[in-house]
Amino acid sequence: MVYYVFTLVFFCFDYFILAMGLNIQYGETGILNFAYIGFVAIGAYFTGVFSLHSSAGTGQHYILGLGLPFPVNLLLGGVATMAFAFVVALITLRRLRTDYLAIVLISLSLVLYDFCNNFVSIFNGADGLYNVPEPFAKALGLTVNSFIPFFACVTAVISLLMWFVMSRITRAPLGRTFRAIRDDDVVAAALGKNVFGMRLKSMLIGSFYAGIGGGLLIQFGGSFNPTAWLPGETFVVFAVLIVGGAGNNIGMFVGALLVETLLIHLPAFLPEIPGHPGLIEYFDNAVVGMVLMVMLWFRPQGVVPARLRRTSSFGVIARGDDASPTVSAHIAVESPLTGHE
Amino acid sequence: MSEIGVLEPQGRPTRTAAFRCDAITKAFQGVHAVNGAGFDVPEGQITALIGPNGAGKTTVVNILSGAMTCDSGREFIGETEVTNWPSYRIARLGLFRTFQLSRELGGLTVLENLLVAPAHQAGDSLVNVLFRPGVIRREEREEAERALSVLDIYGLYRHRDTRARELSGGQKKLLEIARAVMASPKILLLDEPMAGVNPALIELIGGYILDLKQSGVTVLMVEHNLNVVEQICDYVIVLAEGRTLATGRLSELRENTEVVKAYLGEVIDAGPAH
Repeated sequence: MVYYVFTLVFFCFDYFILAMGLNIQYGETGILNFAYIGFVAIGAYFTGVFSLHSSAGTGQHYILGLGLPFPVNLLLGGVATMAFAFVVALITLRRLRTDYLAIVLISLSLVLYDFCNNFVSIFNGADGLYNVPEPFAKALGLTVNSFIPFFACVTAVISLLMWFVMSRITRAPLGRTFRAIRDDDVVAAALGKNVFGMRLKSMLIGSFYAGIGGGLLIQFGGSFNPTAWLPGETFVVFAVLIVGGAGNNIGMFVGALLVETLLIHLPAFLPEIPGHPGLIEYFDNAVVGMVLMVMLWFRPQGVVPARLRRTSSFGVIARGDDASPTVSAHIAVESPLTGHE
Repeated sequence: MSEIGVLEPQGRPTRTAAFRCDAITKAFQGVHAVNGAGFDVPEGQITALIGPNGAGKTTVVNILSGAMTCDSGREFIGETEVTNWPSYRIARLGLFRTFQLSRELGGLTVLENLLVAPAHQAGDSLVNVLFRPGVIRREEREEAERALSVLDIYGLYRHRDTRARELSGGQKKLLEIARAVMASPKILLLDEPMAGVNPALIELIGGYILDLKQSGVTVLMVEHNLNVVEQICDYVIVLAEGRTLATGRLSELRENTEVVKAYLGEVIDAGPAH
């Protein structure tokens, strides 16, 4: 029972991180990143190969094998994902917008998937990476059963730290500039904002979150292979974002709780339907798809909608809403257009 | 600053050009929207850009503001050549614009629309966001106070916490001008600021544009309302078929047969434009 509960806790907080990364790209900046799960995978694989020791004699084939400790490997996994995102962004973000960008990115996701699945010498192909060391397991003497609650708590702490940082970003002028670009990039550029530079910045921040989320996945399970990141998985993260409420970091947690935990993982722990083993799990995507349609139809702003930043949040005290004396003065003075009052 | 005489009677160069363009062209699939337009805009004055529909006025504004590149020709802000620079670099030299159809940042509040505008905000840097929150808080408070003052002037104060997309058409026009003012412009391009607004608001906007001139801002405005042009504009540039047909004061241009034939004649025949 403890195993089940803390597995759900882990996935909830991990998808909270993933959704925050997608939220800054799509919810805040309007970058329709349909390759998001590919960035998660890059983070997972690099965290794995930074953590694993040399592949010689392991029966696996992979690059690096640096044997770095947690959380150094995790942070470097996030940085590697940013580096990958930087290259992708240089190619795509300068000229592509909205649906064209989405088409190119989903194509990238498919190419990346086939590449990792078939090119064995980088991340061990279809078998993926396995036997990835469990963080602190030896040092703390953790067993298989005690590691799961421990790592779920570690993930929760990391996700809260990342939420704190993300909240600071989205509340700052930087976040406001992202939202301005989302609303109208021509206006943002006309106001002196380097739209490409800002979109690149948003892409890198979101990709770091994707990389950390992916890294936590491989550390939790100890293995990671292409079946874990089918290109369609991107839409599960989108479902988390849309159900939770795009543009609201708290909404990302609610979305992760409702979609990833209750809809995706909880049914896997339900009793089997007699005569139909595994049938419940096959309904995952259908249920998520239906929930998405219902949300987009009846509550497109999500369960926790994006909040308006009111005047008081800027540390200024607004006076009452009386008619502006300055405007009244304008109306009263001699009209410049007609020459009379 | 280059000296210009073309807009002065008797050809006496008395003012410097805030910006100018020479022989700019722009074609869309073989159709020349702008075909050699060139003019100087004097510093600290209000200049109108008029011409019949399809004369290329908005295309010229788009090119001057960097929203569009030109096929040939040159543009200068002061002595700096800015030909085909991107919008954000042109804006950083102090040239800002409004749009023919209002383009508010709809998901942001009215106050936030103004807060996007100031240049060089410390809070646009990720390093500052992460490590210097105090600096950002202080800057935000100062800018918010300034933005509230601007909203007060433009009659939008009580809408400060409203999403910009919920404003009326006239309020959106005011918001666009207020947002540009918040950016502390040296040069302001206004693309039909009076289009689709009621007469009372026309007077109000006209007053605001005169205020901008008083504070030293150079204004170039595309405008069809000749009453407005006559009352508030110092100079007029007439475009026709993508070329500069004439420049001067409106009273002088009314005597110009080419201008009357190309543009003013239609309007005068039809009575005063509003």
